[in-house]
Amino acid sequence: MAFVNLQNVTYKYPLTKEPVLQNINLQIQEGEFVSIIGQNGAGKSTLCYALAGFVPHFFKGEISGEIEVDGRKSSESTLDEWVLNVGLAFQNPFNQISGAKYTVFEELAFGLENIGVPRDEMKVRVEEAMTLTGIRDLADRSPYSLSGGQQQRVALTSILVMRPRLLVLDEPTSQMDPIGTREVFGVVRRMAEEGMTVVMVEHKVEWIANFADRVIALKEGQILMEGKPNEVLTSGLLVENHFGVSRYTSVAREAQQRGLWKKEKLPVTLDESVEGFRS
Amino acid sequence: MHERLSFHIQRDSFLHRLNPLTKLVLTLALVIIAFTFPWYWTPHLLVIAAIIPLSLLGKVFREFSLTALRLILPAATFLFLMQAFFQPIGTDIIFKFYFLDVTTESMLFAFRNAMRIFVMVSSFTLFLLSTHPSELMSDLTRRGLPGQFAYVIISTLQIIPQMQAKAQTIISAQRSRGLDTESTFFKRAGSLVPLVGPLVFGSLVEVEERAIAIEARGFTSKHVKTSLHEIPDSTFDQSLRWVLFILIIASVGLNLWLS
Repeated sequence: MAFVNLQNVTYKYPLTKEPVLQNINLQIQEGEFVSIIGQNGAGKSTLCYALAGFVPHFFKGEISGEIEVDGRKSSESTLDEWVLNVGLAFQNPFNQISGAKYTVFEELAFGLENIGVPRDEMKVRVEEAMTLTGIRDLADRSPYSLSGGQQQRVALTSILVMRPRLLVLDEPTSQMDPIGTREVFGVVRRMAEEGMTVVMVEHKVEWIANFADRVIALKEGQILMEGKPNEVLTSGLLVENHFGVSRYTSVAREAQQRGLWKKEKLPVTLDESVEGFRS
Repeated sequence: MHERLSFHIQRDSFLHRLNPLTKLVLTLALVIIAFTFPWYWTPHLLVIAAIIPLSLLGKVFREFSLTALRLILPAATFLFLMQAFFQPIGTDIIFKFYFLDVTTESMLFAFRNAMRIFVMVSSFTLFLLSTHPSELMSDLTRRGLPGQFAYVIISTLQIIPQMQAKAQTIISAQRSRGLDTESTFFKRAGSLVPLVGPLVFGSLVEVEERAIAIEARGFTSKHVKTSLHEIPDSTFDQSLRWVLFILIIASVGLNLWLS
């Protein structure tokens, strides 16, 4: 039995005419790092909300099918129980700051206070999480005085500190520079190796190719394609459907047509590209 | 630049170390006694014997007196003048100003009321200067105040300055596209429309996202909440609260008994 199991999930928001998710079937194993790609309006964020329990518990609307995490059904659970297992961080970091705390350290402890973690354990967990994401130096700053990228790290850390079994991230690096992005992917990879299951919506395909175990391409609320990162990200199907493709893949595809790319597999990352052209 | 809506000044003093609830009870006691104790000079005495010494004890005398001068004195003076002139009591006329009589009684009446207002505003100022809002709220939450209520208060204090900053950004953005914000009143009033839209709709989206974010961090969890900071509540605090409580009851009781 998969750790995450979606059976025929179809969902419509209260004010939309068409369903945003249509017949989604998805199984994710424990400790797997799955990345979701897709254009605007493909249903990526809605899928994240569905995994995190906010669809339908928060947004209401019509849902059919079954969402299961760790053997528990979303339909038979309440949101406050569900969030103990599933953590969600999303794109806009500014709106993820609670507003109730005056320092980053207090901000990170906010979730732990809510679920009744004892004070001593709380301090240890916050320290650990800050070390993990490299934000120890921000501990005494006001969360509102940080840059967008720093706030995104705080938002991610504030979820990691809750130690969810399933981590759902909706474009968590959108305001980060390449160094920040690399660190976040590194942290997420490490969490997956330690047994946390990760679902991450991301546009930065080269990073996905380097770090994710599996890629799911969404289009108009349906799964267009899924598989190993290289397989999906170099597929012609993505080009036909106007997905963003790595520049290394595009260059190699051109080269292939002119007989300059000899390998069968197309590259996604710089390293793969360099290696392919050298051989 | 980070700003927040708070008077609080961090100092290491006796007043700062008191439990927030004790300070709240102390503030209420000062106000209630000033208004109810049936002796004319009560509010005057409280200012000299309690509020000013407390501000010195709390090491905030300078900030306190600046706030008092700027905020309280003009209001108290206005109130004093209004009541001295318009209170139709007493026969002992000091001077006449057209049809307005100023009597000894109305002067005394006005003086006391102005002092009462002074006690009220200044004791709350002192309370806000020496108490961190989040400390107060976590202490009250621990004692049974609903978490949602405390959250609304605290987040408002932080979010208002953020909204002001956002409004400023929108104004700059619209001005750079030629919006008139400096000519006649009616033109400026008209130019408010394109400013209010983005601010209001943007804020609504923000509220929804913030609700999701805090919900994802267990805000509505049914667990008993814990607190990162330990807020001291000594036996001295507890006995002080009892003493103040008894003083309040006595003052209100005396007032009712004598009336």
